[in-house]
Amino acid sequence: MFSLALKMLFGDTAKYLMLVAGLFFATFLIVQQASVFCGLMRWTTATLKNVAAPIYVVEEQVEQVNETNPMRDTDVARVRSVSAVRWAMPLYSGIQRVRLADGSFKTVQLVGIDAASLAGAPQRMVEGNLKDLRLPNTVVIDELAIERLSVDFKDPAKRIKIGDSFEINDIEARVVGICQAMRSFTGGPYIWTTYERALQYTPPQRKMLSAVIAAPGKGMTMDQAAAAIEKETGLRAYVNRDFGKNERDVTTGKTTRYGDFNTATVWWYVKNTGIPISFGTTVVIGFIVGVAIACQTFYAFVLDNLKHLGALKAMGMSNFRLSLMLIFQAFTVGIIGFGLGLLASAAFAMGALKNGQPPLYMPWQIPVAAFAVIQVICMLAALMGIIRLSLYEPAMVFRA
Amino acid sequence: MNFFSKLLRYGSLAAALLGVVAIILVSRTQAEKQMPPAGDPPVVPPRKPFAHSVAATGILEALSENVAIGVPQSGMVSEVFVKVNDSVKKGDPLFKLDDRDLLAQQISTRAQLDVAGSQISINEAQLAKFSAQLARLDAVTDSRAISKDDMENRRQDVSIAQAQLAAARAGLTSAEASLESISMLIERLTIRAPRDGSVIQLNIRAGEYAATSPKSPAMILGDIDKLQVRADIDEQNATRIRAGQKAYAYLKGDTSISFPLEFIRVEPYVIPKVSLTGSSIERVDTRVLQVIYSLERPEDPPLYVGQQVDLFIEAPDRN
Repeated sequence: MFSLALKMLFGDTAKYLMLVAGLFFATFLIVQQASVFCGLMRWTTATLKNVAAPIYVVEEQVEQVNETNPMRDTDVARVRSVSAVRWAMPLYSGIQRVRLADGSFKTVQLVGIDAASLAGAPQRMVEGNLKDLRLPNTVVIDELAIERLSVDFKDPAKRIKIGDSFEINDIEARVVGICQAMRSFTGGPYIWTTYERALQYTPPQRKMLSAVIAAPGKGMTMDQAAAAIEKETGLRAYVNRDFGKNERDVTTGKTTRYGDFNTATVWWYVKNTGIPISFGTTVVIGFIVGVAIACQTFYAFVLDNLKHLGALKAMGMSNFRLSLMLIFQAFTVGIIGFGLGLLASAAFAMGALKNGQPPLYMPWQIPVAAFAVIQVICMLAALMGIIRLSLYEPAMVFRA
Repeated sequence: MNFFSKLLRYGSLAAALLGVVAIILVSRTQAEKQMPPAGDPPVVPPRKPFAHSVAATGILEALSENVAIGVPQSGMVSEVFVKVNDSVKKGDPLFKLDDRDLLAQQISTRAQLDVAGSQISINEAQLAKFSAQLARLDAVTDSRAISKDDMENRRQDVSIAQAQLAAARAGLTSAEASLESISMLIERLTIRAPRDGSVIQLNIRAGEYAATSPKSPAMILGDIDKLQVRADIDEQNATRIRAGQKAYAYLKGDTSISFPLEFIRVEPYVIPKVSLTGSSIERVDTRVLQVIYSLERPEDPPLYVGQQVDLFIEAPDRN
């Protein structure tokens, strides 16, 4: 029976291609757009990934990592005084302007870390020694900075390298290391230096401490330690795990107080920018295109084969078995269309991952959800065929 | 035609399978590109020595506190008698300001002393002359030989000469006094150590101008055999501080060695925090309670006055 169904399906090559193409486009649009959206949202939390620390302690009202309210210098000691904290170090994070040798300006994401422990240092050094950061006027740049801060990136001889220097707010910064880092939402490369020097690079303000990074004490989870910090200091303590539910999430009315800084940051962008609307629209269009093409083509396909199906019905095949055949056909087309869509998405993703542009992050939920959506489309199409078929009288075959 | 449709059939199936494989590959590559989750920092921060503690930052000082040596008046430095690290006793000369103007005054005053001396001699001679004249007249027994008026004149001459002599003597004393005061002023320009200690900072060299501003002391004196730590504690943690609490200090930059501290006192006055990070002196953030601990100077590593330390002070839990 199933081989008959397949024979019927592949029999009309043009219709088959049409069906697969519709589902292919739907899959590609859904997977690719959803991945780019996730990637873009992930970029907003780049600081949290690059400055890996279990707990971020920030000012009480801070909702996301890219918009911090500076605290007092002594708040480091206050966090350190909490018994649940194993260590706590100061962190500066802010956008600064860099002037290159040829006089052009670039914005960068400046990160200042504790000079003694180097807590918050880049985790993957490509070149150079991290401890050289303790030398005067030194910085560690990321790979994106090579592209951005080189006078002429196309000429390998003119690329910025260890030993080269540029200016941050008129103060010399000498490169002692190059590291791998995730790109930021604002597009500026990450530049690491020590906390004290970051304060010198930055125009003076009354308060300059962006955040305190901390780790939970022995036998404590991040969440317990964060709760203890909030209780004892009155500051806001976020854990830095990943986007997702957290045991300290509290929803009151319409607003939610998130326990994880990643989640809080992503939701801030979702609520305060038009990004989800624009991507959401594309995903919905993908779904509609899929439904329209698939349903229409499948219906036409069923109409075309109505004679054969009717003959089968006349031969005594039950409606149920015929429906099963149609469902099987739709399911097969769905899998093939979905697979082809994945192939195209994967090609796109490989390119994006290699370039670092455009943003792309594909959690396993995206292909799984896309598969479900495609199957829903197919079943919808099959349903239309089934309805048409069940209304069809077997006697009609002989009438023509 | 048959071949074409077969190709399409199996080709699309194979491509679909390939798609699933490719997406798994993408997911792998993506996982490799992710930054690893947070771990310990490259240099492990100091382990807390107490279960419950108050953390603070501090600065090393000489036990006697650092004495910023001031000058009585601004002026040029003519000579410096000590070097950095020299140990000095109380009263030892440290440096000297330019005293040439006073020396010049001294010369003219000394000349005045001679003038005053010769003035005395003149007056003494005069007194002797008048006294002799009076004595001669006194010796005449016949009262008719000398007029009463003449006699009286001679007597007054002697008194005047006596008064003039006294005045000349006073002039000498005054000249001597001003000479003494000039040498005291000269002596004042030699700055001496107010207490025993070592020179831990020397900001002045011969030929430089020493100002009276307290911001830039000419030199800093301190007893560096024993050090003390001045710890800044955020006022919000001040309630957890009690006299006699145990504490440990860690040098900034070297977390492997801890130094046991001994409580000395709590400063009773809470001051605005002056950031210890260097250039940012004017950045007054918050008020801090200062607690003083003494520190035995270890053989190794060498410690220096002015170094920053991280402190942990044993304190009861907040709750």
